[in-house]
Amino acid sequence: MTQEDIKNLILEIIEDIDDEADFAGLDPDQPLRDQLDLDSMDFLDIVMELRKRHKLQIPEEDYPQLATLNSCVAYLLPLLKNA
Amino acid sequence: MKVPLLVIGGGLSGLAAAIRAARFTPDVLLVEKHSRLGGLNSYFYRNKILFETGLHAITNYAEPDNKKAPLNRLLRQLKLPRKELTFCQQLQSEIVFRDCQSLLFSNDFELFRTEINTKFPKAVDHFHRLLQFLHTFDPFLPAPFRSTKKFLAEMIPDPLLIEMMLCPLMYYGSSHEQDMDLSQFAIMFRAIFQEGMFRPRGTMKDFIELIDTHYLNLGGTRRLCCGVKNIIVQQNRAMGVELESGEIIECNHIVSTIGHAETFRLIAGHRVPEEKLPRLGFIESIFHVKEPSPSPLPADRTIIFFNDGHRFSYASPVDFVDFSSGVICFPANFRGLPAKSMREIRSTHLANGSKWQNLAASPAEYTMQKQAAAQLSVQLLENMIGSFWSNIVYVDTFTPVTIERYTSKMGGAIYGSPNKIKDGNIGFSNLFLAGTDQGFLGIIGSMLSGVSIVNQHILPKL
Ligand SMILES: Cc1cc2nc3c(=O)[nH]c(=O)nc-3n(C[C@H](O)[C@H](O)[C@H](O)COP(=O)(O)OP(=O)(O)OC[C@H]3O[C@@H](n4cnc5c(N)ncnc54)[C@H](O)[C@@H]3O)c2cc1C
Repeated sequence: MTQEDIKNLILEIIEDIDDEADFAGLDPDQPLRDQLDLDSMDFLDIVMELRKRHKLQIPEEDYPQLATLNSCVAYLLPLLKNA
Repeated sequence: MKVPLLVIGGGLSGLAAAIRAARFTPDVLLVEKHSRLGGLNSYFYRNKILFETGLHAITNYAEPDNKKAPLNRLLRQLKLPRKELTFCQQLQSEIVFRDCQSLLFSNDFELFRTEINTKFPKAVDHFHRLLQFLHTFDPFLPAPFRSTKKFLAEMIPDPLLIEMMLCPLMYYGSSHEQDMDLSQFAIMFRAIFQEGMFRPRGTMKDFIELIDTHYLNLGGTRRLCCGVKNIIVQQNRAMGVELESGEIIECNHIVSTIGHAETFRLIAGHRVPEEKLPRLGFIESIFHVKEPSPSPLPADRTIIFFNDGHRFSYASPVDFVDFSSGVICFPANFRGLPAKSMREIRSTHLANGSKWQNLAASPAEYTMQKQAAAQLSVQLLENMIGSFWSNIVYVDTFTPVTIERYTSKMGGAIYGSPNKIKDGNIGFSNLFLAGTDQGFLGIIGSMLSGVSIVNQHILPKL
């Protein structure tokens, strides 16, 4: 997957969690949760969807690395390079 | 047979737990002892008429765009589109302390605030301070029991106002006699006063079927008439269960929603945890009334919480029933419900579980006592809402004995044990408690309980 693919994957997962999520003006360096009104329960869905779709086991201590869109890309790029 | 997750109990918490897990791993199995799903909140038929067992009103009303509200969070977690549900909001409800004072409230918190301003003018600033406190207080942080009565007594100098606020919150969400945990108070204050009440436009049967279909579509499996007889445990690990049929089901994880003591009753060699405080029982009567009745029934009240006099006692009564307080529900009085030919009125009072239990051994006396209780309840209600006795076409009453028979809840205590296990951890590595004895009560509460226990303990390990 490319950086762009991963970005789209994350946004697609979020859209699936909340079909009214508004991505206009989303700052890729700011926490997703604050910008999209997500809470920790929603956040868990991102982790679980990544596992379901790409068999990725993300340990709990790594969750903070999924905070922003850009940090998601940085974290997932090596893990999904062959996906 | 082996499954990754077994959910014991097909009440609302079990269904929510099962759906939440099935979203990510389809082979979840839910087992329910009864022939129907729903548990305390199910339905039954008498004379071909559908009765809802445990629905007055659902708490935590929120508009669809309020994403952080518990109701919308819950629906998102279950992936139940809000569009598939039509909710009808309450008209308005009232707390009536007879011969003392009354307070109206609705889904618009301003009404409650105005009522307090006009009826308790001296307490306005104190009430405001309470709201400020609640605004910053996090009721979900783990904390030991803290007395709400003590807390409120220090904050609000008017004992009548305190009791009036506590009356609905206790009736709809306290397993504890005469007091409630401060966290639970904060949860219920928001759920009832700040968010408010509603019901689905359809029946509870429709609601449960919708949830059930959703679960089955996700790939989950459930079995009815399928009670768990034993939970097979090795050291601190649950290996599986033995069903009443004798069949063994192995599993990696178990979520039990049947209660704390009720779960331990199924584990050989483990002592059932002792409860030092009494469990609370309730008696509920459902009256079907032909209209027009002799005096018009209230058309603009959804729920009335009432108490005789100043002091409100929320405790297991000495007698079969405590008629000095109660709840009256008018299930037709929600905005936008389809009209029905028959009016329904429901009444709830506190009842003494063990007294009813002892009487159940003599069916004739039990039935007589039940009828007498319904009749006394009517008399009491008539003092408040006008007469309807002569127009009753059908009465059904359930006591703690009925509740225990259909849901196996010890003592028929709707809100379960007075002690809650908030993190669901009951001393096993892969067996957790959700639902009533985890501590989130009511329909939204129990469903959130199922979801959060699965999030916390199951999903990270699946
Ligand atoms: C009369 C009444 C009125 C109510 N009114 C309201 C209201 O207006 N608003 C509101 O929000 N809440 C209301 N409630 C409360 C609400 O219904 C409950 O808080 C909620 O449904 C509890 O769900 P639960 O899943 O925790 O427990 P339960 O519904 O008790 O579910 C437990 C399930 O486990 C099953 N079970 C037990 N033992 C076994 C076993 N060994 N094997 C397999 N299965 C087993 C039981 O049959 C049951 O179905 C009311 C309840 C009653 C009874």
